[in-house]
Amino acid sequence: MTTQVSIQNTINIRRQQGHDKANLLLQIWLVTWRSLTTIFRTPVALFPPLAISIFFLVIYESTLGGAAAFIPNLSGNSYLGFILPLSIVSSSLSGAGIAAQNMVRDIESGYFDKLLLTPISRAALLLGPILAGALILGIQASIVIGVALIMGLESATGFAGLLLVVGLAILLGTGFAGFTVSAALGSGSAAATQGASFIFFPLTFLTASFVPLELLDGWLKTAATFNPITYVLEAMRATLNSGWDAALIWQGVGACLLLGTAMFALAIFALRVRTRRS
Amino acid sequence: MSNREIKVQNLMKQYSGGVTAVDDVSFSVNSGEIFGFLGPNGAGKSTTIKILTTLALPSGGQATVGGYDVVHEADLVRRIAGVALQDIGLDPLMKSMELLSMQAQLFGATRQQAKTRASELIELVRLTDAVDRRVGTYSGGMRRRLDLALALVHKPDILFLDEPTTGLDPASRRDVWEEVRRLNKELGMTIFLTTQYLEEADELAERIAIIDKGKIAKRGSPAQLKAAVGKESINLAFDSRELAEKARAELSDMADNIQTDRDMVRLYMSQAAQTIPAVVNRLQAAQLNPISLTLTQPTLDDVFLQVTGQRINAEEEKEAAKVG
Ligand SMILES: Nc1ncnc2c1ncn2[C@@H]1O[C@H](COP(=O)(O)OP(=O)(O)OP(=O)(O)O)[C@@H](O)[C@H]1O
Ligand SMILES: [Mg+2]
Repeated sequence: MTTQVSIQNTINIRRQQGHDKANLLLQIWLVTWRSLTTIFRTPVALFPPLAISIFFLVIYESTLGGAAAFIPNLSGNSYLGFILPLSIVSSSLSGAGIAAQNMVRDIESGYFDKLLLTPISRAALLLGPILAGALILGIQASIVIGVALIMGLESATGFAGLLLVVGLAILLGTGFAGFTVSAALGSGSAAATQGASFIFFPLTFLTASFVPLELLDGWLKTAATFNPITYVLEAMRATLNSGWDAALIWQGVGACLLLGTAMFALAIFALRVRTRRS
Repeated sequence: MSNREIKVQNLMKQYSGGVTAVDDVSFSVNSGEIFGFLGPNGAGKSTTIKILTTLALPSGGQATVGGYDVVHEADLVRRIAGVALQDIGLDPLMKSMELLSMQAQLFGATRQQAKTRASELIELVRLTDAVDRRVGTYSGGMRRRLDLALALVHKPDILFLDEPTTGLDPASRRDVWEEVRRLNKELGMTIFLTTQYLEEADELAERIAIIDKGKIAKRGSPAQLKAAVGKESINLAFDSRELAEKARAELSDMADNIQTDRDMVRLYMSQAAQTIPAVVNRLQAAQLNPISLTLTQPTLDDVFLQVTGQRINAEEEKEAAKVG
């Protein structure tokens, strides 16, 4: 009873001072932790995307790897280091899917409304699932890299280069997650969100997927030039195959930030629409 | 003490489909009062609660909760109001302790305070045994109790409960009633509760409003409402609805108020017992033989029937007139 009273007093004091809510960082931490908890409580959902990424890696390497010698501009570098980034990018997509599924589950269960009734900030509400998804995909990317290492990958920039690749994957995945979370907020339905996630899938092919950018032609080259994934792939490839290239890395990071900012803005807008209370 | 009133004036809510869920509703709830909002399915109870707890915007009118405007001061309303919605919103993958302490922390409690508060509430709603289980494994009643605990995390001044005992067994229902009364008495919480159970409103509420098709049809204390229906009633059951309607026509001048509910006719009057012989005579003369005759003290059920049943009858009569 005494504790009860003292909490009430603290809350009253905070209320008077206008501080009766957690600060933004704590809010973000709380909702991210919550998302991670639920993600790890349904671990089976994590395996299929990881398996697909590894599957792609193995298939591309064994079917196209042999022909790599005939691809100009690649000579001397490994095709494994060239194709690994594509596999990692597609796992970033699935990480984004996880963030959105979390959001949809909350909307469907009504728990989302419960959170809206607390003094939580909109940014924290969005960042929770997005950051949790990003962390998951960071782990996934690391596992895919681990498999590539077993397959004989040699990083031109060593361990630090591998870390950079994981970092880029997380950044890119955050942008994707912004998009899928927007779809979740907009539709409130699992099926529609799943559908929206597939929009990004072709993007991984409308780019320098299997051969370097210079070898592309016509409309595909145009599409690839505007596709942010192209720059992320190039930064990752250079890092793995040829060495540090500051210009390419900044291009990759820039593309991720651009995509991420735009998608987070979209997510904020989608949240506004959902909570318009109409 | 803080302002714990609810004031609602000319509240309107029109959904985009064109449904008017709340139609010019006004009422006020005093500080520390238990107020019952009673109505059949689709009456507009949940919509009213959603507006008052800032989850929906009104299309017209004003409402303040604890002195704060539900549209312009939504943040402040959320700090002082707690709500357990009709559709329980719980994450099935989380455990009760996690849900409660996270909610408490979002409201500004420290980790330790949040833990303490969560344990208190778990004990309060008797979920101690299930504390380590995921909410997905809880029974419907357990979920409802946990949802109630979540509404109490930040010690609200004003508590909104949307059909809090639907789906509960009689024992759990009594527990909830007891808890509602305790919160009201010991902490002075204002409680706004909706229900379809007249018994519940009668049991808990000091004042009641009956809402039907978005409009307030009746309001007052349970006693006042019962008194308005008449002190006593004679209830006659017939073999068919037609016979009941005939009897109604035959007896219409004998009661202050007369209702039909399918094959039942209810005559409300102040001295029912003494009137029984006259009623029986009149029926015999008209060759209408009831299969049963009972005498009752009015309950809120009768009020409810009068309010919601009358309208159904009026519509049926219109329909009948069209056909005839
Ligand atoms: N989101 C919505 N969009 C359109 N119409 C709605 C929406 N929510 C409720 N309605 C309509 O508004 C009316 C009132 O609904 P409300 O949920 O407030 O009723 P209620 O009194 O809570 O009923 P119940 O006892 O069944 O819970 C109903 O006709 C319902 O169909
Ligand atoms: Mg309802």
